[in-house]
Amino acid sequence: MTPEFDKTMDHDLEAFFQAARDESPDPSADLMARILADAYDVQDQHTAETILTAADPVVTTAPRGVMASILRAIGGWPALAGLATATVAGVWIGYNPPAVFDTLTLDLLDSSYGISMGSVYTDTEFLLTEG
Amino acid sequence: MPLDANSEQTDDTLLALFANGDRGAARLLTVRLTPRVLSLAQRMLGDRAEAEDVAQEAMLRLWKIAPDWRPGEAQVSTWLYRVASNLCTDRLRRRRSVGLDEAFGEGNEPEDFSPGVVRRMQDAERAAALKAALAQLPDRQRQAVVLRHLEGLSNPGIAEVMEIGVEAVESLIARGKRALASRLSGRRAELGLSDDT
Repeated sequence: MTPEFDKTMDHDLEAFFQAARDESPDPSADLMARILADAYDVQDQHTAETILTAADPVVTTAPRGVMASILRAIGGWPALAGLATATVAGVWIGYNPPAVFDTLTLDLLDSSYGISMGSVYTDTEFLLTEG
Repeated sequence: MPLDANSEQTDDTLLALFANGDRGAARLLTVRLTPRVLSLAQRMLGDRAEAEDVAQEAMLRLWKIAPDWRPGEAQVSTWLYRVASNLCTDRLRRRRSVGLDEAFGEGNEPEDFSPGVVRRMQDAERAAALKAALAQLPDRQRQAVVLRHLEGLSNPGIAEVMEIGVEAVESLIARGKRALASRLSGRRAELGLSDDT
């Protein structure tokens, strides 16, 4: 390829390129409308997603699963704390009842049933004896 | 804000406004970018309907990426050219089994014979001849030649669009132009090109 050939080639091609550049297509109104409709759709979709994302933390931070359902059913953490306190108090009272309960129990049993607990234990004592 | 008031704003700025739901930015970007992407697609594909589909798809991808766009990292127009080029290349590959004549058609006939009819006819014939010659180039050569000589991008700009080096761009353009010259040389006289033209 000589420089002269390149020069002629460039000159000729430029005439073709110029003709093609002058033919630059104008977008039709229909195409512009379609592209703009796409743009608005994407904008609306993005806006909706933004709103959902903003509302999402309430949903995502809420506890999930079976235990969470049970917790919600009994009224949340404050209710669970109250329930735990009552349970511990019940166990403690059962293990080491206050003296006032002894008097109360004896009074109730004696007056209602009149059964001597001592006689029951005497009759069954032989079952516990070895030999 | 009126549309005209935004005309000085950069594509980056308009894209950020678009992502915030600004309808005016959507309109201005459509008006500003669609002709360019359509022009590229039509020159690469040689088919108006397909070029419009590519332009719409490329613009749709721009709309979708808008919220994640990082201003200053790349030019919007360069990104759009790249997307459109890739979409065109995909379509050209799918055409392979169809055949070039059928894929590119016979070229557009001039429809308007207003004043300067001879010159206009000649220009139309030159443009059609170039289109037919471009259609026979390998995809990458055609892409580089179209971007350089019809879309007016610089070689570094084309390198960015095609994701190759500047030297590779120069090589593609040089080979493409030689191939075009070879194919068009037989029609110089017919198309009004003589040694004194």
